[in-house]
Amino acid sequence: MPAIEVSHLTKEYRLGALQSLKDTALNAGRRLLGHPVEERPMFKALNDVSFSIEPGEVVGIIGHNGAGKSTLLKMLARISTPTSGSVKVDGRIAPLIEVGAGFVPDFTGRENVYLNASILGMSKREIDRKLDEIVDFAEMAEFIDTPVKRYSSGMQVKLAFAVATSIDSEILIVDEVLAVGDLAFQRKCFNRMESLIKSQRRTVLLVSHNIRQVERFCSRVMLMDHGTVSLDGLPQNVCNAFFDYSDKRIVAQSARSATGKVATTGEVELLEIYLCDGVSAPSRELVYGSDIEAHITLKVNSSLEKPIFYLGIHTTDFVKVTTTTSGETFRHKMIPAGVHKISVRLPKCQLTPGAYSLRFSVDVEDPVKNVLYHDSLHPFSVRSSPESRSNPEFEGFFLSPATWSQSTPNLAGERSSQQPEAGLHTVL
Amino acid sequence: MIRVAQNLYDYRELVFTLAWKNIAVRYKQAFLGIAWAVIKPVMLMLIFTVVKSFVGIDSGSVPYPVLVFAALMPWIFFQESASDGVNSVVSNTALIKKIYFPREIFPITAVGTKLIELGINFVILATLMAWYGMVPTAHILWVPLIILYTVLAALTISFVGAAINVYYRDMGQALPVLLSLMMYLSPVIYPLQLVKDKLLVQQAAGEWSGLLYMLYTLNPLAGIIDAFQNVVLRGLPPDWSALLPGALTVAVLLPLSYAFFKRAESYFADVI
Repeated sequence: MPAIEVSHLTKEYRLGALQSLKDTALNAGRRLLGHPVEERPMFKALNDVSFSIEPGEVVGIIGHNGAGKSTLLKMLARISTPTSGSVKVDGRIAPLIEVGAGFVPDFTGRENVYLNASILGMSKREIDRKLDEIVDFAEMAEFIDTPVKRYSSGMQVKLAFAVATSIDSEILIVDEVLAVGDLAFQRKCFNRMESLIKSQRRTVLLVSHNIRQVERFCSRVMLMDHGTVSLDGLPQNVCNAFFDYSDKRIVAQSARSATGKVATTGEVELLEIYLCDGVSAPSRELVYGSDIEAHITLKVNSSLEKPIFYLGIHTTDFVKVTTTTSGETFRHKMIPAGVHKISVRLPKCQLTPGAYSLRFSVDVEDPVKNVLYHDSLHPFSVRSSPESRSNPEFEGFFLSPATWSQSTPNLAGERSSQQPEAGLHTVL
Repeated sequence: MIRVAQNLYDYRELVFTLAWKNIAVRYKQAFLGIAWAVIKPVMLMLIFTVVKSFVGIDSGSVPYPVLVFAALMPWIFFQESASDGVNSVVSNTALIKKIYFPREIFPITAVGTKLIELGINFVILATLMAWYGMVPTAHILWVPLIILYTVLAALTISFVGAAINVYYRDMGQALPVLLSLMMYLSPVIYPLQLVKDKLLVQQAAGEWSGLLYMLYTLNPLAGIIDAFQNVVLRGLPPDWSALLPGALTVAVLLPLSYAFFKRAESYFADVI
């Protein structure tokens, strides 16, 4: 018997504000008289969703904002009622839909633990038994008798997380709670979730925008899009499909509103920059491993003495992946005023699939100064064939060319040479 | 009804915890603490006593201050239970949107919380009675039943009011006005005996008198306050003829009110 069974679940919301009392009364009157009533348009947050989850499955739900993830969780947790269709849940559900719902600022940490835990359905005896563990996990022993209103927001979240994850329930619903506290505590939460999932064999539903986390935790992932489950299957496949889709959206978005950082002294202007692979037309979608050329058109206003050009690649969240410099190429030259074209060849580009942008800057010597800086230029995505996206090589930003070799050091005499596997080591 | 009781039993710990929260939140950072619970009835008692000295209200054999305090106790309990009950769902928006448990927990907890404040007022009542040298009789054992009945009357308003309040906040605004009108229609400032004398003995409204009296006692508070005064102060059993019409009102309206609440409940999280 499945732990959760959802069939033809639909949830509609009316768009716009709630009607005034007057409109409600007028509409009721019209209905009584059989006149047509002006209805506000409906919005389908969930549209005919069906699936079932077996006990012990760990299911991730991903999708962009507004895809219906949280609405679905609310239906499962019985907070909201479906417009049509049904939800069957077998077992006690603990919703971690938002940790710390119902913390009372005037109460001490201890009082809030009792309050919050009993709201989540724990009995007094259960809480008594678990109090020490909760306090210990939240690292709050020192502050547990201080009112929560004097806590920092991080402390509140830590305590709330500790309470929420201490519930014994067959089904755990988790909505974006792993991103709490500082890095050290996040690590701890992560481990706690992992132990909840792995060792206690609970059914878990995890909603997150941290796709890597979902991929790691879950045994199955559902991708939601516009109120429907558009993909349901192995974490790797579903997550990769979502990555590809997101990359395209990011590129399209940043191409529409290029708002990079620009700094210039006016000596040189960037007229055009684009990438292409093989053919000469600009391309925003490059294939992994192909030869890439960057074409830059500059307008030099006053001649550049001994310039150095930098071309860099960064992710859309400004992690600088790589930078290449013109180095000595123009070191002893003077570039006169006028329009010039520069091209950079990047043979067999090893960038892993993802969304990136270009960064370009110009320095001159005597005196050393930066005369031009641009980033978030020419957003582009690197793609691969769909089946190879889940290639383990693509974990990271780019592939390092490497040579591996094997040797078996003869440290312990004859014994080790008879067991080559035991002494296997690799050299990069 | 059995399901309600079952739910209530399953969630009893939550009800107690939430009631404790309500009390603690209200008085935590107040210097006078729970003493505030008695200040309102005591102040009103003093004001009414002063007013009474101008107007002249026949309080029968019982000293007026005790009589009015014994009326204010069930009245204030009812009034505050009803208004807290009506606001209980809206004021717990954060919980409604995050966690499921039977939503009637909120109005019930709000009413339950007021029971504690009512209990404290009994101390004042006992002091007043001792001051005037009044000794209660065995009829005082009726008190728990009268309070239970008051709880049911308050829930009748709370359920329907709380549900409407989620959709239209007008309810929260209108209720205090309605309740303060209701106070004058209940025998708080004056004893029920006066109304009875006027209508039933003197037949002040001619042939309509009997009907008017019946209408008056349809208000459950008429019977409640009078019964409370009878069993505590006068040493008499409750006046059933005054209780019955009101009890009928509650018996009919409470199930309707609860049904309305349960129907509206599933959409609370969407519209609140």
